[in-house]
Amino acid sequence: MQYFDHVNARTLREAADYLRSSKGSAKAMAGGTDLLGVLKDRILPQYPETVVNLKTIEGLEYIKQDHQGLKIGALTKLTAIAESDLIREKCPSLARAADSVATPLIRNLATIGGNLCQDVRCWYYRYPDDVGGAMQCLRKGGDLCYAVRGENRYNSIFGGMKVSESPCTARCPNGTDIPGYISRLRAGDMVGAARIIMRVNPMPAITARVCGYFCQEGCSRNACDENVSISALERFVGDYILDHVDEFFTAPEQESGKRVAIVGSGPGGLTAAYYLRQAGHAVTVYEKMAEAGGLLTYAIPAYRLPKECVGRTMAAFEKIGITFRLKTEIGKDIRTEDLDEQYDSIFFDTGAWKRRIIGIEGEEMTTFGLEFLMEVKQWMKDKPGRNVLVIGGGNVAVDVAVTAKRLGAVSVTMVCLEAEKELPASIDELRRAREEGVVILPQWSPTRVLRDDDRIKGLDLVRCESVFDLDGKFAPVFDDTVKKSVSGDSILVAVGQRTDLSFLGKDIDLETKNGLIAVDPESQMTSKPGLFAGGEVTSGPATVVMALKSGRKAAAAMNEYLGVKAAHVSSEVNGFLAFDPQGVLKSARARLPERLPADRSVEAEDTSGLEYDEAMTEAERCLNCGCIAVNPSDIATVLLALDATIKTTKRTLTAEEFFTSSAVVTNLLDDDELVTEIMVSGLGKGHRSVYEKFRVRSTIDFAIVSVAFAYEVGNDKIKNARIALGGVAPVAFRAREVEDYLNGRTVSEDVAAEAAELAVKGAIPLEKNGYKIPVLKTMVKRAVLKR
Amino acid sequence: MKQDKIRLTVNGSSHDLSIGVNLGEIAPSETLVHTLRETLGLTGAKESCDHGACGCCTVIMDGQAVPSCMVLTVECHGKEITTIEGLQDPETEALDPLQQSFIDNMAFQCGYCTPGIIMTSKALLEKNPRPDEEEIKEALAGNFCRCISQYQVIEAVKQAAKNGR
Repeated sequence: MQYFDHVNARTLREAADYLRSSKGSAKAMAGGTDLLGVLKDRILPQYPETVVNLKTIEGLEYIKQDHQGLKIGALTKLTAIAESDLIREKCPSLARAADSVATPLIRNLATIGGNLCQDVRCWYYRYPDDVGGAMQCLRKGGDLCYAVRGENRYNSIFGGMKVSESPCTARCPNGTDIPGYISRLRAGDMVGAARIIMRVNPMPAITARVCGYFCQEGCSRNACDENVSISALERFVGDYILDHVDEFFTAPEQESGKRVAIVGSGPGGLTAAYYLRQAGHAVTVYEKMAEAGGLLTYAIPAYRLPKECVGRTMAAFEKIGITFRLKTEIGKDIRTEDLDEQYDSIFFDTGAWKRRIIGIEGEEMTTFGLEFLMEVKQWMKDKPGRNVLVIGGGNVAVDVAVTAKRLGAVSVTMVCLEAEKELPASIDELRRAREEGVVILPQWSPTRVLRDDDRIKGLDLVRCESVFDLDGKFAPVFDDTVKKSVSGDSILVAVGQRTDLSFLGKDIDLETKNGLIAVDPESQMTSKPGLFAGGEVTSGPATVVMALKSGRKAAAAMNEYLGVKAAHVSSEVNGFLAFDPQGVLKSARARLPERLPADRSVEAEDTSGLEYDEAMTEAERCLNCGCIAVNPSDIATVLLALDATIKTTKRTLTAEEFFTSSAVVTNLLDDDELVTEIMVSGLGKGHRSVYEKFRVRSTIDFAIVSVAFAYEVGNDKIKNARIALGGVAPVAFRAREVEDYLNGRTVSEDVAAEAAELAVKGAIPLEKNGYKIPVLKTMVKRAVLKR
Repeated sequence: MKQDKIRLTVNGSSHDLSIGVNLGEIAPSETLVHTLRETLGLTGAKESCDHGACGCCTVIMDGQAVPSCMVLTVECHGKEITTIEGLQDPETEALDPLQQSFIDNMAFQCGYCTPGIIMTSKALLEKNPRPDEEEIKEALAGNFCRCISQYQVIEAVKQAAKNGR
């Protein structure tokens, strides 16, 4: 065994001190029969520096009864529990469970406290390090649960449990509960799926088309085949929402009496408007352009985001009572100071629309890319030259390049500072551009415009070695010895736009930083109370989803500022995480039907959405990332049925809290928190309890299925039934439906059979553990019929 | 508290051992089976599965049969340990009646697991001098034999119990 230090703790306090001061590098050890195996096989990424021996703590080895109930010290050996006359008489199920653990030799060492805290036995999790390396499964912070698609005969038949935030949600800037809504989709619950998304995003039809989809980069499936096409699923739900506007866009039930103004109708402003309106405020959105939507309407080409989609979203927003004041420029048509007087709170989302000057010779001859995109929208006629050069490597630059190409340019060449892998544009967009013949030149910087009088002839370029310094700051390094010229007759510049803060009148003195409005990162509040800002005017060029998040955060903070409590939306998961055992085996992701390059235009959307069946198949590919290993403790299942309490050095927990709130029991406890006592009360006359355990070998094996049943009998009828199932789910859990059914009934074959049927309701057996269903039924039946 | 010296009694002899990383010292991460075999030269207990599952390393510690691969030596301070080597009478060199019963019943084949099985059986008989067949089977549920000596083992333990009466 790899070396570790060893200390004997003489008291609980001393043990806690060791554990606390080690900051996670020490491990507590009681009997050691679980921990020593873990250490010998080096299955965990972190090996402890010190093992703290708890067995030297006096006074924790006892079995006694007082007026509160039966009490067992945490260091009591399982042999003592199995052989205790008191326990055999008062709760035979506990004696039986203890007696069923491992082997007599192990029971002579193992303690009850250690049994409750033991780690899972999933063979992927337990795979020894010296045979090809331990496996970094999901439970260890890795990407994948190998059992979901692998050998899962001993795993859960009721789904998984979260052991970490799903990587897709973690990567989503807006924190969308992606596995949550995909679960609803799989269940055929479109409304439920839509509502989960709309908790954080009121316009999924739009984001689905323009988001950078960081979530897909995080998807666990990347580790084995192809990620789930979250974009296609979000679009499916988003389009459903727009087809059922009446159902999803309803005016608030109560008006708050507060008035708020939104300046700018980009994604951030719109999102803030939506959530503020939901809270009952009178919301007015000011937009200087003729149509609402900001960059959604004016900058993102229609082939990516059809204007009909934006229009329908705006109509839905109007329907819930959001007022739009178009062609009204704040700072010009209405003074900002006046707005501040009229409204209780204001949110600024004025975006970044101003041209950034690169500073090259002849720059005045070039065209601003964003203006070009707006002109396309407005006139569709002002065709660019025949050979177009685009400066920039972001999504706007790609939009500009592709649009130019589709409008008839013979050649389009993008000149980008960044290396191929660093290009800020999304991989999909770059692929599309190349598909249509756009040439991309990474790692080049323009130095001057080549001209022939007032005609553009091309660009001089110099090699760009690197763009960012070690701190990630923009600090391009050039190699002047490597030069190149490209020819072209028009140059479109899309290198990141700037904000224009001139609308802030002289009386509105907001703090700014680097040309951006400075805001508190949590609340989005500016230096002036009541005035909030978000989107690119606070962040500089970013993404739609970032703007959306800032709008949502601002809305929450504005509600707080206005003293209005927004309705609480709960996001807890009920029950275990379900997934489709067959569906997850499918490797290939869904692809949106796409027009052939020759058929693409600047007006019609390139892609179309998934059909219902396709969307369901894709939803079934989601692993709903959770751990499906089962808690191996026999004692846990029994204590749950007995409604025991577990005392630690810091608090007293019910068995329900202790065993079912986390897939990793020890995560519930602080590093320096130790179990000290187990107490079972209510073991009066008439109380009965049984424990049934199924395993292949009658010794050493862990429970494949186990059932603990505690109840009372009065007038020949079952009362206060508590039935706990072990070995079939990530944690032992109570089968409440079975309990409700059994209460008030007299035991019979039929009653036991019905209880067994109820116990397996909702099970989702995996490819290799379907056999657990009949076993579970049999065990429940036996437990109920046992005399 | 760090334990830097331990004293344990093995088969009636007391041993003082230092805990540490130097030559001749016992590492804190060392298991009892290792110390018995490598430091004290008592190779009767076998290190087989090294996970407490097979019972080949069984010794009797303070009256209880335990798998010595799942016990850290550093935690054995003050313990009384008996290994298979300690069953023989030190003066007469006569085998323990239980050992003799195993021979008489041919209760082994390759013999690798036998020391562990005898130690578990010995602990059983100390606690329960007259076990019935079920009790013998239950007590030996943590000792595995791949050569199928189990039938003879049960006979041997039964006979030893009978002779002890």
